[in-house]
Amino acid sequence: MFLLPKGSPLFENLAVSKLKLPDVLTKLSNGVFTGYASFVFQASTAILVFEAGKLVSGLVERENGKKETGFEALSALAELMVTTGSGALNVYKLSKDLTMCIHALLEGEILYKAQELKLIDIKTLLEKVKEDKMNGCLRIYTDDNAAMIFYKDGNPLGFFHDGASDIETSSTESQKIAGLPGAKIDLFSTQSADELMDTNLLEVTNIQKIWDASVALHKSEIDRTNLERQERDQKAVSLKLAELEEQVKTIVGEYVGKVGRGIVDKGISDNGGNSCLIDVDKSEQFMKGVERAAKLLVSGTNIKLMMEKLNSTLTIAKSEF
Amino acid sequence: MEKFIELLAQMNPFDLVQVIFWGLAGAISFYFSIGNARVWTSISIGFFLIFLSQAYSINPWGHYAKLSAFHYIVGTVAIMTITHGFLEYYVFCRTFEISGNKIIVYLSVLGVLAFSGMFLVINPMPGPNIIRNFKMVENAIWVFLCVMNLEIIRKIYVAIKDSDISKGFIAFGIVFVCIFLWRGSDLYLQIFQWDQDWQDIIALMEDETSNIEEFMGRVQLSQLVGRYAGLLSGISVGGAFTYMYKLLK
Repeated sequence: MFLLPKGSPLFENLAVSKLKLPDVLTKLSNGVFTGYASFVFQASTAILVFEAGKLVSGLVERENGKKETGFEALSALAELMVTTGSGALNVYKLSKDLTMCIHALLEGEILYKAQELKLIDIKTLLEKVKEDKMNGCLRIYTDDNAAMIFYKDGNPLGFFHDGASDIETSSTESQKIAGLPGAKIDLFSTQSADELMDTNLLEVTNIQKIWDASVALHKSEIDRTNLERQERDQKAVSLKLAELEEQVKTIVGEYVGKVGRGIVDKGISDNGGNSCLIDVDKSEQFMKGVERAAKLLVSGTNIKLMMEKLNSTLTIAKSEF
Repeated sequence: MEKFIELLAQMNPFDLVQVIFWGLAGAISFYFSIGNARVWTSISIGFFLIFLSQAYSINPWGHYAKLSAFHYIVGTVAIMTITHGFLEYYVFCRTFEISGNKIIVYLSVLGVLAFSGMFLVINPMPGPNIIRNFKMVENAIWVFLCVMNLEIIRKIYVAIKDSDISKGFIAFGIVFVCIFLWRGSDLYLQIFQWDQDWQDIIALMEDETSNIEEFMGRVQLSQLVGRYAGLLSGISVGGAFTYMYKLLK
C-alpha cells in the first residue's frame, strides 16, 4: 500500500479490535469529516475517504496486491475488523481538494498505468493535465521510490513522496525520482470535489447489516472451530480411554482369565461407559464390581495383586486426563 | 441321648462312616457359604442339606413316618438348591451379573422346607409304601439333576478354564459322577422293586412276589455301587469344598 499524506491527525494508532465499523463511520459522518481513515492490519490496509462527512470512496488492499473498492471494500473491512485481533486506525483530516486527489488515487479513472517515463513525453503530458484542467494525481515511481503530484483544475496542489509525512511545495524529490532509470508513472483523474459530493457510500450501503453479517459469520466460524476442536479433543480422549480400557482388560485377564475381559466390559457398562475409569466415584464403583466378580474366580492373593495393579493404573490415568 | 447312642450302636458301620463324611462335607460347605460370594450360597446350602437328608439314619425319631418322609423331601430340596446354585454360577459366567443376597437364599430354603413340613403335617400318616415313593421321587430327581449339573459344570469349566478355580469345578464334576452312581443304583433297584424297602413291604403281603432271586448278581452289584459311591460322594464333596477353599484363599 502506498503512503498517503497525513494532514492533521485526528486519531492515531487506535486499536481496531475495540472498534465497531458502524460506530466509526457514524462518528466521522456526523462530524462532517473531510480526509481519510486508514485501517492498518498485519497483511492488509483499508482507506476510507470522507468528503464533508460523506464516504466517497473505500479501498482495501490485501498483502497479495488484490484490491477491493466500494461495497466490497466495506464488507472486506468489516470482516478484517471482526476477524483480526490486531490492527490500528489512523484518521487524518485533509483539505477538500487534497481529499479529492486521494480519492482519485484510490478510485479515480486510470489514464496511465505503469507507463515507463522514458517512453512518454512528460512535458506534453503535464501540459495536457493543465489544459484539460484535470483533477487527480500523478504518481512517479521506481522499484524503491515513489512520489505523487496532486492536481486541481490542472494546477499542482502539492508534492508528496515516500518518507514524508505531508504535502510539500517543492518538486525536487519528484524530479529526482523521475530522473532515475526505470521510472514509471500512473495518472489518475477524478471528478471535481463538488461533483464528488454526490457520492455517499453510507447512503447506498447498510453498514450495520454488513457489520452484523460479518460478526455473525465470524461467530459461526469460531463456533465451528470450537466444535471441531472439541470433536478433536473428544476423539483424542476417546482414544486414550480405549487404550486405558484395553490396559485394564489385560490386567484383569492376566489374573482372572479370558472371562476377565467380560467382567471389565460389564463393569464399564454398569458405570456408564469407559469414562468411568477416570471418574473418582465411578472408578471406585467399577473396582468394587470387578473385585466382587473376581472373588468368584480368583484366589484372595491374586485378587489383592490385581486390585493393586488396577488401582495404580487408574490413578496414573486419572492424573493424565 | 441314650436312645441316640443305642441307635449308633445298631447302625451298620459303613452307613455310620457315610453319615460322618456327609456331616464333615455339610460342615465344610456351610462354612464355605458364610465366607464366600453370594453365588456360592445355594451350592453350599444344597450340599449341607444332603447331610440333613442323610442324617435320618442317626435320627432317634427317624422311625416316625412323617419325619422319615421329611428327610427325603430335604434331600430333594438339596439337589434342587445345588442345581439352582450352579445355574446361577453359569449365568454369572455368561453375563457377569451378580444379584440377590445370602439372607434371601437362606430364608427361601427355610421357607420351602417349612412348606414341605406343612404338606406332611396336613396329610395322612404315610405308610411304608408311601415313604418308599418319597424316596423314589427323591432318587429320580437326583439322577436327572446330576446329569444336568454335569452338563452345567462342563459349560462353566469351558467358560472359566484359565481362571484359578476352574479345577475346582472338575472336582465338582467328580462329585456328581459319584452321586449319579449312588442315586442311580438306588433308583435302579427301586424301579425293578429289588430294593430292601420293597422286600420288607412284600414280606407282609401274601399276593405279591419278587423276582429278585433271578437277578441277584445285578442287585448285589447295584447295592455295592450304591454303597461305595455314596461313601465316595460324601468324601468327594468335603474334598471338593476344601480344594475350592484352598483355590480361593
